Amino acid sequence: MIEVKNLSKQFKAPTEEKGLFGPKKKPFWAVKDLNFQIKKGSVASILGPNGCGKTTTLRMIAAMLTPSRGTAFVDSVDVRKDKQVVKSKIGYMTNNTSLYDRLSVIETIKFFAELNQISADIYMPRAEKLIEQLDMKKYLNKRVADLSTGMKQKTSIVRTLIHDPDLIVLDEPTTGVDVTGQSVIIDLIKSIKDSGKTLIFSTHQLNEVRDIADHIIVMKAGEKIFDGDNSQFQELDSNKNFTEIFMELVSE
Amino acid sequence: MNKWQVLLVKEIKHLFRDTKTIVQTVVLPTFITPLLIGLIFWYVADVATEESKKTYNVSIYSPSSSVLIDELEKSDRLAITNENSVNSVIEAVTDDNSEIGLVFDEGFADDLISNTSAQLTIYSKDIDTFSQAQSLVIDIVDDYEENIRDKRLELLNIDENYVNPISINEENLTTEAESAGSIFGAILALFFVMYVMTGSMYPAIDLGAGEKERGTMETLISTNISSVDIIIGKMLSVTSSAILTATFSMLGFAIPLVVIFLFYADSINEYFFGLLSAIVNPVALLGVFVLIIPLSVFMGAFLLAISVYAKTPKEAGLLLGNVLIVFIVPCYVPLINPGLELDFVGALIPCYNLALITNNLIAGTVDWFLYSVALISTIVYCCVAIYITYIMFDDENVIFRS
Repeated sequence: MIEVKNLSKQFKAPTEEKGLFGPKKKPFWAVKDLNFQIKKGSVASILGPNGCGKTTTLRMIAAMLTPSRGTAFVDSVDVRKDKQVVKSKIGYMTNNTSLYDRLSVIETIKFFAELNQISADIYMPRAEKLIEQLDMKKYLNKRVADLSTGMKQKTSIVRTLIHDPDLIVLDEPTTGVDVTGQSVIIDLIKSIKDSGKTLIFSTHQLNEVRDIADHIIVMKAGEKIFDGDNSQFQELDSNKNFTEIFMELVSE
Repeated sequence: MNKWQVLLVKEIKHLFRDTKTIVQTVVLPTFITPLLIGLIFWYVADVATEESKKTYNVSIYSPSSSVLIDELEKSDRLAITNENSVNSVIEAVTDDNSEIGLVFDEGFADDLISNTSAQLTIYSKDIDTFSQAQSLVIDIVDDYEENIRDKRLELLNIDENYVNPISINEENLTTEAESAGSIFGAILALFFVMYVMTGSMYPAIDLGAGEKERGTMETLISTNISSVDIIIGKMLSVTSSAILTATFSMLGFAIPLVVIFLFYADSINEYFFGLLSAIVNPVALLGVFVLIIPLSVFMGAFLLAISVYAKTPKEAGLLLGNVLIVFIVPCYVPLINPGLELDFVGALIPCYNLALITNNLIAGTVDWFLYSVALISTIVYCCVAIYITYIMFDDENVIFRS
């Protein structure tokens, strides 16, 4: 289970006022007093317009950013106190494939498995299963630089899942991906859902959320403006469709 | 393997699959630089040879005739032009029509006859280091003066030793090793520092700012690898590249020397052969290499810290270019002041100490206490640089700076 308590993050943003070394900076809350819980085995989606704090929230949950205030617990482990333990429980995929161009697909998978200190006899069967599932056999020895976006996306998925994490965090996984790539991601999310693992993803694709997510969190300007399940979201206005409800929520 | 070892293997694999790294680390120091140095030496030797055959123009203004002018005209390497005024002589030298201008004083001949001192003004431009014009003229003037002096002494029946109370015998006890150290020490150190810098620069940019831009840094820190493991893995990759570059640069110098010794030993000047032999000194090369290792780690860590702070590889390149100057300048100081000697304070200045110690190691005059001071201080700088890198990698404001 994931428990988020008063989670807040403050950054400094440049203002129009000029200082000695460039524009003066002013603190602002990218995420402010966020509270929610995500049940184990559920698929949660964080929605919101650009700059609402989705990525910052996911990065704090994944122990990549330290909260300025409040905290989050991943399976009761505090992200402030045991960053490495939290990270070992999480498979995090950024909004671009972010792979090493000069490594081959198989080298990439091995690198991330070994980085998680998993022995070959454990990660190889796991990798073979994922490779089979995602139909990647043909290009295992190809360098990442020579792959299509869809192939890179699949490689990124395997490297995210290779250490068999309890929680999978996907930050805008379908952004900038073509239709084939999007379908790969959707299939992945569905298979994770079937496997009983917990998944959080942020997205702009509302159809994905409507079809897959058990739990929806909507954010605006760093604050939570909705927290509930799919039916509760629809109940906000039964005369409107999913997209219309979302647009109304974020424009208020 | 530990996490940092896994990262190190990956980084080295990733770095050396890039042609730019291979060119920077192996091709440039091993082949291109010795070739460039060879070309420069060949050009310099060629210019010097040409100068030794060249005829120089000399403009002369003399109100009266002089035997000295006849002596100058006898030289087949001086083409004499008589001018009608002092200004014409100055103009000829200023406009580069003549290499040398000579203006004889109005009473030049009379002064010599009356056994006083005659005035001769020599005009030249002191920018052509290869030009032998001035020395050719001065040699003829000196011979003429000597001849007159001898006649005057003879007239007065005075022995030459009477006007030369002290006869100075100059004996140069500089060994070939010392000469080699003085000539090549600072140059070698400058090359080593340049190679360590250029060898570290590209990997530092690629593994710091480059990874930030490509997004792989975010992927890396999302895994459960600690900042310390990331620093060790990345820093050792940068350092390995720097040490490899330094090693290949040493080979780049050694291979042509070995070729010279094996195939052209008979055809080179004995003095020059002695100088080259002094450089190929295992103790000196090992001593330099031991000092280069912590310097490489220091530079690797420092450059990585700057690179990871930069938002983009372009910004990193700009920042590291400025740092390059900071490291290179101390190497230049001994190069333009060949007489400098290493002291305690100098031993604490990175790169400056390497230049002087390389000089001393080749000359065989190294002070091992100062060597230890230089080595220990470089290790201390290493630790400070590693700590700064640790702070950078542990600071989310730096890692996510965009």
